[in-house]
Amino acid sequence: MHLTQELELFPDVRVTQLLFKEVKNAAELRQSAVDGKINGALINPTMLVDPFQVLVAANKAVCFQKNGKMKTRALSSEIIFNLSPTNKISDAFKRFGISDGDDCVMVVVVQDKSETPCFDDIVSKVDGCQIPVKDISLLSDHMKIKKLYKVTPQEEKCGTLLDAVVSRMATKDVL
Amino acid sequence: MAVPEFLSTAELLKQGAEARVYRAQFLGKPAIVKERFPKRYRHSVLDEKLTHRRTVQEVRSILRCRKAGIPAPVVYFVDYTSNCIFMEEILRSTTVRDHIVGAQQSDAGNDVELRLLAQRVGQTLAKMHDEDVIHGDLTTSNMLLRRGPQDKESELVLIDFGLSYISALPEDKGVDLYVLEKAFLSTHPNTELVFEELLKSYAASSKRSPAVIKKLEEVRLRGRKRSMVG
Repeated sequence: MHLTQELELFPDVRVTQLLFKEVKNAAELRQSAVDGKINGALINPTMLVDPFQVLVAANKAVCFQKNGKMKTRALSSEIIFNLSPTNKISDAFKRFGISDGDDCVMVVVVQDKSETPCFDDIVSKVDGCQIPVKDISLLSDHMKIKKLYKVTPQEEKCGTLLDAVVSRMATKDVL
Repeated sequence: MAVPEFLSTAELLKQGAEARVYRAQFLGKPAIVKERFPKRYRHSVLDEKLTHRRTVQEVRSILRCRKAGIPAPVVYFVDYTSNCIFMEEILRSTTVRDHIVGAQQSDAGNDVELRLLAQRVGQTLAKMHDEDVIHGDLTTSNMLLRRGPQDKESELVLIDFGLSYISALPEDKGVDLYVLEKAFLSTHPNTELVFEELLKSYAASSKRSPAVIKKLEEVRLRGRKRSMVG
C-alpha cells in the first residue's frame, strides 16, 4: 500500500509515502502534526501529480538539512515548503498542507535505515481508508495545479505536467 | 558530503574543461548529473562565485526554454554546495551530429530528410531567440533527436546550456548563429545547402529575425569578437 524509496544521495535515508482517502479527522491530524505528535509531513494530495513530486521535495529537504540550509524549522515543514513554486512559507502551508475540512491526506515519513519501518502508528491515527500511493492521480486537481504553478499549454507540449511542476520546484530558489 | 560520494559510484560519461557529466539513477529515474568541479587555477573565492553563477544561469535558461515549449531536459535537483545539476536523461535519442553523419553515409534520398531536419532546427532556434535565450554553444552535438514512443516524429531537444545567458540584442543572437554555422560546416562537410535551409527557416519563423540575420552577415566578416579598435 505504502511506497518506500531510498534516497540515492543519502543511502541511509528512506522516504515512505502513505495515502488516505475518506479521512474524517483532518483537524485532529493537523493539530497532532503542529504539536509534533506525528512523525511526518501531512500533505494535501489534490496538489500532487505523482509520488515523484514528493520524492523531489523530500530529497531536497534532507539535503538542505544536512547542509544546515533549511528555510523552515523542521524536516516535515521543509518538505511542504519545497513543494511550493514560491518562496513564501505561509503560502506553501496553505496550499500544500492539510486543512481542517480535507477528506484525503498524504503522509510522508523520512526515516533512517537503522530504524525499523513501522507505520502502524500513523495508520491507526488516521480515521480513513488507506489506498495505494500510485492512485494519487485519482485525487489530484490538475486545474488547480496548473494555475498555481503557472503551467502554460505551450509548456505541456514539450513535457508532462509532472515535468513542469518538478522543474519549478527544483529551481525556485534561484529565480 | 553526500553528492561527491554518490558521484564516485556513478558512470562518468564525459569530462570537459568546465564540468564532468555522469549517468546515474536519481529517485528511481535515469538521470544525468552535471558537476562543475572546482578549478584550482583560479582564486578560490572567484572560482566559487563563477561556478555558482554559471550553474544558476544554466538552470534558468533551461526553465525559460521549457516554459516557452522548447524541449530541454527537466531539472530534478540542484545542489549548490557541490554545484551539481541533476536532470532528466534524454532516452531513446541520438545527437543531431550522429544523425547527419549517418544520413550522409547512406545517401539514398536523404537530402530531403536533412533539409526537413534543418528546418526544424531553424524553427526551434528562432523560438529560443524570441525568448531572448542565447545558447552560447550551439553545435550539432548539443542537439538531440528523441524518438517518439511509437515511431512518432522525433523531437528536437536542446542540451548543454552551460554557456547560455539572457539577451535581447541582435548582436548576441547573430553570434549564436555564427558559432553554429562554424561548427556545423566544419563537422559536416558539404552541407552548405542544408545550413542555408536552416537559416531560411529561422528567418521565416521569427518576426525579429531580419536584424539578427543582418548582424550575422556583419559577424561573418569580422569574426565573433567585436572589434575594439577606435
